[in-house]
Amino acid sequence: MSEVATVVAGWGITFVILATYSIWVVFRGKGIGRELGIGETEQSDLEKDVGTITDS
Amino acid sequence: MDLTPLHEVEAPNDLRRRVHRRRRWSVLAISAVLIFAMAFITAQGLRNATLFFRNVDEAVEQRSELGERRFRIQGRVVPSSVKSESGLTTFEIVHNCVVASVLHSSDPPELFSSPWIPVVLEGHWLAGEVGTSVGSDTHYFSSDRMLVKHTNEYASANEQRVMEEPPEDFLDQCSFEVPAATS
Amino acid sequence: MPVANSGAKMTATLITRVLGVSALAATGLMAVLGLVISPPDVVQGEAVRMLYIHVPSIWIAYGGFALTSISSILFLRRSRRRPDQGRHYDRLAGSAAEVGVVFTAITLITGMLWGKVTWGTYWQWDARLTTTVLLFVTYLGYLALRRLPAEPAVRSRRAAVMALISFINVPIVHYSVDWWRTLHQKASLSVGRRPEITGEMYWTLLYSALAVTILATWLIIHRYRVIRLEELRDEEGLEALIASRLNKDFGSH
Repeated sequence: MSEVATVVAGWGITFVILATYSIWVVFRGKGIGRELGIGETEQSDLEKDVGTITDS
Repeated sequence: MDLTPLHEVEAPNDLRRRVHRRRRWSVLAISAVLIFAMAFITAQGLRNATLFFRNVDEAVEQRSELGERRFRIQGRVVPSSVKSESGLTTFEIVHNCVVASVLHSSDPPELFSSPWIPVVLEGHWLAGEVGTSVGSDTHYFSSDRMLVKHTNEYASANEQRVMEEPPEDFLDQCSFEVPAATS
Repeated sequence: MPVANSGAKMTATLITRVLGVSALAATGLMAVLGLVISPPDVVQGEAVRMLYIHVPSIWIAYGGFALTSISSILFLRRSRRRPDQGRHYDRLAGSAAEVGVVFTAITLITGMLWGKVTWGTYWQWDARLTTTVLLFVTYLGYLALRRLPAEPAVRSRRAAVMALISFINVPIVHYSVDWWRTLHQKASLSVGRRPEITGEMYWTLLYSALAVTILATWLIIHRYRVIRLEELRDEEGLEALIASRLNKDFGSH
């Protein structure tokens, strides 16, 4: 494999993995949220949880 | 008054266990595969990791005890010594002011053409009188596998850094001088 | 009253939206810098562009695993007195470990491709490569352990202990190139050592690390929320199952 083909493959695979994982995480969250029928009220509870991550 | 149910009611804990049991076997199977993978990796690592290669000076010093045993040798390629003919490449490698002659029998990686590139070669010593750029030797290294060991130095190709000279301090302590590249 | 379709908001708040857009823009600029603006290397040519994804990926993996360890220590210290805090640290440990595993996989894949054009081989069992693949498998094991059916508190405790044991390998991976002879080159950047990378390449590498850090932070926050949602769903599902079973058993009499 040439240098350019290697670089294209390496960056391409990296972006595919990261995009796939990101989409999976977002849609899994949306899916479970929908399943639970969770709305704005419950969301604020979760934000409190996440707030502790960013604060810590 | 007897409050015992007419037939046994399943407790919540039993239900919980039943729910979990479905996933247990698949997770256990995955765990077994992972444990096997870890054992395999450790075994492979222990075999190679501690002494991945010998430097040229060590390999020359241990020549009699190594005999014709297969091992890996590491050194920088002397640019002026590289010659290719009918699928065979001959060149010299140097480390700690000790030079060894090499007869290599497979296609070298692309970076082999970079002057003074460090390489790791797999092969063995063979007896035979050979002339080197600093004298002569009674053995040469016969190799069939070459790995280029590039360094952690990165420089822009736009800077046109002079690469024909040996790396800084590399040959300073040596009692010989390596001829400049012919090309 | 809960709205059926508003579950989408569970994983997207204003903060994470801003962070997500920043991550997207930062990785886009990283691609421009890494693939177009930074120069080719004098020895490796174009192949040096692998540096900008390979090296930041393992840094993020180290960071993720370090966060897992710190969270695991905090879990072990606080879970008995403050179970709510304990669960928070357990979720943080799990999400950071998963992101770390993703970036370790990227490190291994990009390293293999880079190795083929520079070393001339995809793989060698040298100390750096062996310990890195061991790191990957160990943390996969950690993630598997988190999925083993058990009481949540017991499972979290086991996972926390395994996280601390697994982290031992991180410094071994990092220093393997100094402790043993390896085909892999020495660390690209080290504290207290002059970088061996010239200007544009050095800054591109540092920028790439920053871009990937923003992306990893966004991923960890989202994954944390998903773990929280999974817990809620499991609790709700189990309660519903128990309730329906008890109704059935008692209802028949």
